[in-house]
Amino acid sequence: MAQESYSAGCYEAMISTQLLISGVIFGLSIGSIYFLLAIGLSLCFGLMRIISLDQLLYYSLGAYITYSINLASGSMWLGVLAGTAFAGLASFAVERLIFRRIYSREPTFSMITSFGILIGGIGIIKYFWGVVPRPVEVPTLLQVTIFGTEVPVYRLIVVAIAAVVYVGIWLFLHRTIVGKAIRAAIEDVEHVEGLGINVSRLFTITFIIAGALSGLAGGLHAPLIMVDPSMGLETLAFVFMVVIIGGLGSIKGTLISALIIGQVVSLGSIIYAPMAQMAPFVIMLLVLLIKPTGLYGSTVLKR
Amino acid sequence: MSREILSVRGLNAAYGEAKVLFDIDMSVATGQIVACVGRNGAGKTTLLKSIAGFLKPTSGSVIADNTPLTGKKSYDIAKFGIKYIPQDKKVFFDLTVRENLELGSYATKDYNWDRVLGFFPKLQLLMGRKAGYLSGGERQMLMIARAILGSPKVLLIDEPTEGLAPGIVTQLRETFRELARSTALVIVEQNLPLVCAIADKVYAVRDGRIVAELVGPEEISVAACERYL
Amino acid sequence: MNALKWWWGILLAFALLGVSRTFLPLPFMNEVVIFSIYAMGCNFLIGRVGYISFGQPAYLAFGAYACAFYLFYFGTNPLVGIMVGVLGGLVVSLVIGPLFVRLRSDYFAMVNLALAVIVFYLTQKVLVDITKGDNGLWFMTRITSTPGLDLTIPGQFFIFALIVALAVCAFYKYLDDSIYGACCLATKINENKLQFLGYDNFSIRLLAFVIANTTTALAGAMYAVYLGFVSPEMASPSRAADPVIVTLLGGVGTLFGPIVGAIAYTGMKDVISKLIGNWELFIGFLLVFIMLVADQGIWGTLAPLLEKLLWRRKATLPVATKR
Repeated sequence: MAQESYSAGCYEAMISTQLLISGVIFGLSIGSIYFLLAIGLSLCFGLMRIISLDQLLYYSLGAYITYSINLASGSMWLGVLAGTAFAGLASFAVERLIFRRIYSREPTFSMITSFGILIGGIGIIKYFWGVVPRPVEVPTLLQVTIFGTEVPVYRLIVVAIAAVVYVGIWLFLHRTIVGKAIRAAIEDVEHVEGLGINVSRLFTITFIIAGALSGLAGGLHAPLIMVDPSMGLETLAFVFMVVIIGGLGSIKGTLISALIIGQVVSLGSIIYAPMAQMAPFVIMLLVLLIKPTGLYGSTVLKR
Repeated sequence: MSREILSVRGLNAAYGEAKVLFDIDMSVATGQIVACVGRNGAGKTTLLKSIAGFLKPTSGSVIADNTPLTGKKSYDIAKFGIKYIPQDKKVFFDLTVRENLELGSYATKDYNWDRVLGFFPKLQLLMGRKAGYLSGGERQMLMIARAILGSPKVLLIDEPTEGLAPGIVTQLRETFRELARSTALVIVEQNLPLVCAIADKVYAVRDGRIVAELVGPEEISVAACERYL
Repeated sequence: MNALKWWWGILLAFALLGVSRTFLPLPFMNEVVIFSIYAMGCNFLIGRVGYISFGQPAYLAFGAYACAFYLFYFGTNPLVGIMVGVLGGLVVSLVIGPLFVRLRSDYFAMVNLALAVIVFYLTQKVLVDITKGDNGLWFMTRITSTPGLDLTIPGQFFIFALIVALAVCAFYKYLDDSIYGACCLATKINENKLQFLGYDNFSIRLLAFVIANTTTALAGAMYAVYLGFVSPEMASPSRAADPVIVTLLGGVGTLFGPIVGAIAYTGMKDVISKLIGNWELFIGFLLVFIMLVADQGIWGTLAPLLEKLLWRRKATLPVATKR
């Protein structure tokens, strides 16, 4: 009798560790998506002092292109590649046509404008793809066993891609001359110009990188959710909270807070699903209560 | 007399509605050190900034080496060889000394650091250090070193000795003399003894106008300059 | 006499609004009047304090749901319902205000948008038991008619809404003219200098935040009573920019901007939804267009012209009488 209840307890504990491990992996993959999205917003703010809500549009575009290419060619990875490229192109066009004119204005000014782009872009998506949510199949249904828990390989791939992007961004900013110029311009745009470097080209490069990463995030996220026109607006709040908690303009902060929010959303939904949506907001309020500029945000606003 | 490299004619500039510069005429030749003196707020910094293209002049012309520069973008002007060194001594704090110099090289495609480090041997020892940890004098050296990569035609230097120790000021004085062999220098400076020691020409700026032009050692003296402060 | 001078602009504006009722459909007019109250709060925040808030739908929803809870679960009197709504907005903004107004304006804008999304989730998913989720709360039939102006009749509700809007508008004009209004403008332009004068930025901003968001909650409560139901749609993030757009469209910081903006916006929405149906596409690009080309807004462009016209007439009048 006692033996039986012992083994039952053991069984329960095993289920909860399994749940925990799959929850952590799930959280890591969600956090990775948030990171890919938030890094663009954060970089844009750091360098150009704009709040670029339209990143969420490139995210949706990336997801939709992935959907369409996947449907046409059967290869989801080709879709992600095309989605990333298309998002980069779209962001290039938007930067040239719109943002170029508003860099010198207040950050909140760019926020309103980019919200207009986001809403208008959703209209365009509705025009081409309609309002019905679209499913994208997961490219690999393989599972690996980690500590006795079956974990979908696709989620691990997402995490790996985000890690590669983080390292890539770090290397780009610290090892290439353009990256060094971007870091210098984050400190002071005018001095970089004074050396004879075309800063507006740096802006364009940064914006395209941000847009492409958002598109990548959308493409990678597509198989995990349904692709629908307002997916950008739904993700918006979480990406915002990631950026605010991490601190605007800080890449390290963005990574850390994306991982935190990913875990909170994932593990929170194991405990009590509705809480998962609310908890990040509470965390954000707490962080802001202690430090109004986020964990790694700089206190001084230049320009 | 050597060749005129920079010529400013009838330059007017304004910050929004407030006019700051009125009909400025200036002429600078290669090998010359030209100093601008005047009270705070007289418009000296604005003058340098509008030559360097950071402030669009409302009228007038800036011609360097027979090329009109008015209306050009500031980075094009810098690339052309008119380098402005602001007074805030703001090197890029988060970048190392080497990276700061690399950026100067990147813009001008001049990767020959030997000449630059010949002026400031001390920087050689600090290469790997983040610029945020340098002293004021070292920062000023780095600012100048960064700017003279690519052998600029004109250096516009804003208050280079402000807040620096006397020893470093003496060192900078020699550096300026050395630099003036190949380029022209326009220096905004409050330190009158230094001005008198190095300047070939002094413009006195008051209320946005050039009120006096002193040329040669006979005219330039601390007393003469003080009259316009 | 002075009082007349102070009031005539507002009275004229609302008289015009009242008259338009005769030739424009009533639902449209009701929408316009409530929307202009909604935008007035936002206008005050942007124009006077320099805070752009994308979270206004959240405060609208606080007011609407407070009113709805009262009308759905407790009482039947719409006037009390509106008061409960205003009180709800007041309490919420007093609670979160101290935290929010410490933030830099860019963080403020982002945190508010996050708040709107969270309120949307809250009403749609988390508090399903009391908010009935996406179905919304329906209480149209529970509202009892009130003596005097009967709020259950749309025609009389319009008169009520018009009076409320007039009072709010006059209140904001009074604020603009007061020392407090000047202080608000000063925090927007240079907060350090205001501090040196001995004013406290924090309390000025907090008061502005509370005033503006209570106004928004009032608009929410009015919506609740007028429509007879509330749903999470109110706090939908896709509508987050509506009050900001109306404010910009009308002209930031102007007294009548919100009214003009509300008329233009509601009108366009009606016409364009019917014509092409893709409302988002239009409103998104309209917003970009306003920001890039016409950031003065409609009233901001018209008002100086009108003033010039009036001024010239006044200037030429004495000459004419002399002849």
